[in-house]
Amino acid sequence: MNPYDLLPRFKAQYDANNQEFSISGVVRPQAIDELGPSIALLRDAIGRVRGVLYVNVRRLTQMNNAAFHAFSRIILDACRARPDLKFIVITSSVVGWTSRKFGRLSGIEPNITVEEYDSEFYPGQGFLEEGGFVPILRTQTKMTWRHERAILPRHGMRPGIVMADICCGIGDFAVLVQKEFQPSRIVALDHSRSSLAYARNVAAEFDIKGIEYTYGDASEMLLEENQFDLVTCRHSLQVFNKPELILRELFRICKPGGRVYITNEKNSHCLGEPRADSIQWTYNEVAKLWAHFQMDIELGPKSKRYLTEAGLEDIRVESFMVTNHDGDPQDFADVIAAWENVYAGEMATKRGDTPAFIRRFRQGFQDHIFAALHSKGYAGWPIWVASGRKPL
Amino acid sequence: MGTVHHDLAGEPSFEPMIQIDMEIKAFVSAWKHCDYVSTYMARMISQNRSDSVRHSNLFSSAFNELLEVAFRTRHADGELACRVSRHGATDRIELTFPCVPEERQFYEQAVSLVAGSEVRERYLNSVSGDLAPSREVVLLELAIDYNATLRVEEADGDAIKLVVDLPLEGLQN
Repeated sequence: MNPYDLLPRFKAQYDANNQEFSISGVVRPQAIDELGPSIALLRDAIGRVRGVLYVNVRRLTQMNNAAFHAFSRIILDACRARPDLKFIVITSSVVGWTSRKFGRLSGIEPNITVEEYDSEFYPGQGFLEEGGFVPILRTQTKMTWRHERAILPRHGMRPGIVMADICCGIGDFAVLVQKEFQPSRIVALDHSRSSLAYARNVAAEFDIKGIEYTYGDASEMLLEENQFDLVTCRHSLQVFNKPELILRELFRICKPGGRVYITNEKNSHCLGEPRADSIQWTYNEVAKLWAHFQMDIELGPKSKRYLTEAGLEDIRVESFMVTNHDGDPQDFADVIAAWENVYAGEMATKRGDTPAFIRRFRQGFQDHIFAALHSKGYAGWPIWVASGRKPL
Repeated sequence: MGTVHHDLAGEPSFEPMIQIDMEIKAFVSAWKHCDYVSTYMARMISQNRSDSVRHSNLFSSAFNELLEVAFRTRHADGELACRVSRHGATDRIELTFPCVPEERQFYEQAVSLVAGSEVRERYLNSVSGDLAPSREVVLLELAIDYNATLRVEEADGDAIKLVVDLPLEGLQN
């Protein structure tokens, strides 16, 4: 028997707590009998709920017309039999066809509404995705790349591999990897359409082939399991309030024997001389500020725990320090100035901090810049790199 | 996008991308062939689309419906040929499969309905109706949900060729 036949192609479940019926996967039956248990589950759910039944099709990648008709029929009949009941169908813009197709149902029965679930689920991330931050992201990648290009081969990077860069942002890391290591294929995914548009423009302008920029939610990707030799996710777990959900997906799409590679920071360990105390105070406050917005900028040294708990083995962890001595000290200073704008200018203000606090908070960034540009100064930004192998 | 070529009739020329041929007997021996073929071809042709994963998913969804239509042919012999070609943002599926004369007539009528003005209404009626979706409804749905244009072309022997243009690259959710 083909192993394909053994894979469950779809799953239907009912969550009584949330009054939610969900169906996911590929539903392409030849005959409706094949859907018997799922249809019965939906009927049963309808019989139990009061008020609203949520129908979650966010991860329904395929459903043929025969199945669509069978499920629609039950929902439409229920609308007629129970006018008190409302149906809210939750789709995902990532899938492409579900919003349109299920949207037709609301044209037939007003008690059915369709809501497209999208990328408003990562608290705090909006601060980092606005267009003004793009030049700084590019500078950051340039600074970290000097180190990572030497580190990556120890974590599974080699020519010819198939890799995914999840939370690729503006896509510059994927471009650098393509030029340096020539993987056979790179899928680069992000949930920011503006970042992807930027990435695609850069790729077109520089005639870069072989990178597929794709829109998606890192915690629920459409990518199939077991297909990448290397899955990278840089500076991103620290931005999510539930990094374990992302890691589960990174693990899922990685091939057995392939590796998952993550980089993260511990911002409270940013340092500088002179004016070390002021710098340290500010970065300790950065950590608290991020925590307020449910992000963990201290995640770096926790990488081994996260990778182990995700089920990976042969965990390799190392760290490097980006410093003002790496290249042009002005690059370092520019990055810190951008951090000051976002952290002190936007996030602290949004948290409701006092002007006195913000003044002191800003001073630490200014002192870090002073250290970076001082002829005898030293300024550092530590990064933790970790990877783990998916068991065979 | 590359240079646009036009043939003598004025229609832009589509560049061939991939073709799969199968004996119809082999094809109809297992339902899952529809899923296999649509998924495989969707992946192959989508890699250089602006969003490969989304494009592949949409293409597979539309193409699978066409293959399920071909699967239900009543003609027992001959070849199934699936060919995909591209012009700019549009991918063209040419699906050639054997059919009996009544089926040919049915497809010609169904395709002419797709071009008609009441497509949406017909489709919504079929969704809210009791009957399982017919092959005609499947074709209507391609026009409604995927902005597809369809036509029937002559094919050799007892076969029919459905030509479906899918402008998926610009399709909004």
